[in-house]
Amino acid sequence: MLEGKLEQASLFKKLVDAAKELVQDCNFDCSETGIALEAMDTSHVSLISLELNADGFSEYRCDRNITLGLNLTSLTKILRCGNNEDMLTLEAQEKPDSLIIRFENTQQDRMSEYALKLMDIDQEHLGIPETEYAATVTMPSTEFQRICRDMYAISESITIECTKAGVKFSCEGDIGNGSVTLKPSASADKPEHATKIELSEPVSLTLSTKYLLNFCKATGLSDTVTLKMADENPVLVEYPLSSGHLRFYLAPKLDD
Amino acid sequence: MGIKGLYQTIADNAPKAIKQNEIKNFFGRKVAIDASMSLYQFLIAVRQQDGQQLMNDSGETTSHLMGMFYRTLRIVDNGIKPVYVFDGHPPRMKSGELAKRYVRREEAVKQMEDAKEAGDAEKLDKFSRRTVRVTKEQNEEAKKLLKLMGVPYVDAPCEAEAQCAALAKAGKVFAAASEDMDTLCFSAPILLRHLTFSEQRKMPITEVELAKALEGLELSMPQFVDLCILLGCDYLEPIKGVGPATAIKLIKEHKDLNGIVEFIKAHPESRYKIPEEWPFEDARELFLNPEVQDPEGVDLKWEEPDVPGLVDYLVKQKGFSEERVLAGAARLKKNLKTAQQGRLDGFFKVIGTTSSTTSAGKRKAADAKADKSKKAKAGKKK
Repeated sequence: MLEGKLEQASLFKKLVDAAKELVQDCNFDCSETGIALEAMDTSHVSLISLELNADGFSEYRCDRNITLGLNLTSLTKILRCGNNEDMLTLEAQEKPDSLIIRFENTQQDRMSEYALKLMDIDQEHLGIPETEYAATVTMPSTEFQRICRDMYAISESITIECTKAGVKFSCEGDIGNGSVTLKPSASADKPEHATKIELSEPVSLTLSTKYLLNFCKATGLSDTVTLKMADENPVLVEYPLSSGHLRFYLAPKLDD
Repeated sequence: MGIKGLYQTIADNAPKAIKQNEIKNFFGRKVAIDASMSLYQFLIAVRQQDGQQLMNDSGETTSHLMGMFYRTLRIVDNGIKPVYVFDGHPPRMKSGELAKRYVRREEAVKQMEDAKEAGDAEKLDKFSRRTVRVTKEQNEEAKKLLKLMGVPYVDAPCEAEAQCAALAKAGKVFAAASEDMDTLCFSAPILLRHLTFSEQRKMPITEVELAKALEGLELSMPQFVDLCILLGCDYLEPIKGVGPATAIKLIKEHKDLNGIVEFIKAHPESRYKIPEEWPFEDARELFLNPEVQDPEGVDLKWEEPDVPGLVDYLVKQKGFSEERVLAGAARLKKNLKTAQQGRLDGFFKVIGTTSSTTSAGKRKAADAKADKSKKAKAGKKK
């Protein structure tokens, strides 16, 4: 049996919102250590990997591994029934037919309970190899979102070039072209506003703007975002969570 | 054509082998397409409103070129790299089937004449579609067009499906695309159906995975081929009284066709009758070791379209609209030039599957989808 209580429903809501841009139906793997989700989008271009550790819940119990097959659109509908500040409880029996979702408001005088029917989903699991990333860029997540949004209006793809001097996002479309360069900065008082670059060798990757913009749905979950890149390899876009992680992988565009 | 009832048999026994997918999900894939089958489809389906085939000013049919040009563009627009495979000579064993088709066509021609005399436009249209065959010239014209478009093609020594399957098996392409289910008998790991259909029909691509089909049917590859022969293929008369369910049962009981034939011969009282001359071993051999060109020697290259050549051929000789041909050529060029979106499965390997299973009141994701597509189909028929 699974029972997980989150102090604020908003965290779970935002996570599901970020995931539902990429996948419709997916399995939530619940175990002693927490809840995990790994899924590829239908065209096998990107992958979302989410881990919510047990210590991120105010109460957590899962005696035996349970896999919950959920339709994310339906899940979103139910999550909309609760307020962001509500306390959220997820509950499932062993071999469940549905997932019980409970909300309790901060005054503790309104309790609601919903049951979401589960689905049978066969999902492929991918082995993600350990990659030596040549460049790691940490930057404000809102800045990353803005760049993706601005460039989406111009072109289908963004080229990210990373050197010691800075990271350059550029795009070229029918109407013209554009670029944004960020230099490494160190704002000592506000570290979340800084751009940090760790680099072993310069990297250049061309990526689909549409997918990057989908990843940006997770912006509200974290002040910073980390891009890990190596030439001709999938980029890793990571939003750190207080206990767990939200990672997106995106295959690059390649010249034949 | 193909194997009788094979699709339904797989759908019933190995539902996991069949997936419905949108065409755009196949981008970045190379696909071998059965050109002869496609041309035949185009000649039947690409028509004017009055049911006549498309023709240029001098009365030459252009339906096949129209189909080839625009359907290929649609495939390319979706980021798929097609290679077409043309039929060579038919295998000797197909002569029976071909003779039958010839007779049917002759009949249709007669009925068409009758309909013409009777002035029944609906029947005339129906039978005129049945008289269609792809001529040698049309094949050559299609090849010429592909060359101008920069799309590669392969001449199969024998059956095109067999060559498509060989290319897919060797990893030269991701999948074989054909409507013919016997492509699976030639060991194509993945078969795509409906790829060359018109955009307007909104048909999803059906992806059939051979390995999963074998797993679901609990058969080995040679047994699968035997099953297909029992169901009825192009090369042999089927055994009377054997339908899909019986065929599977017989194969499982007697392991293979040799066993089944022995069993039926030993039990003359059984209701199954084997045709007098029934060289099933030859048919099996045709499926398991078909005559194909060595896929390793096949060099597939997608090149820039020859725009002046296309204009000269399609516009000047075949009466296509210049504007549309130029726009098409631009699309070919653009798709060739833009960097290909990579796929994660090229980098990360599948290591296993997890399944969530609910007990009672199942809502299967796959089933729900299948239902939907069935409904869509049913809606079409009306």
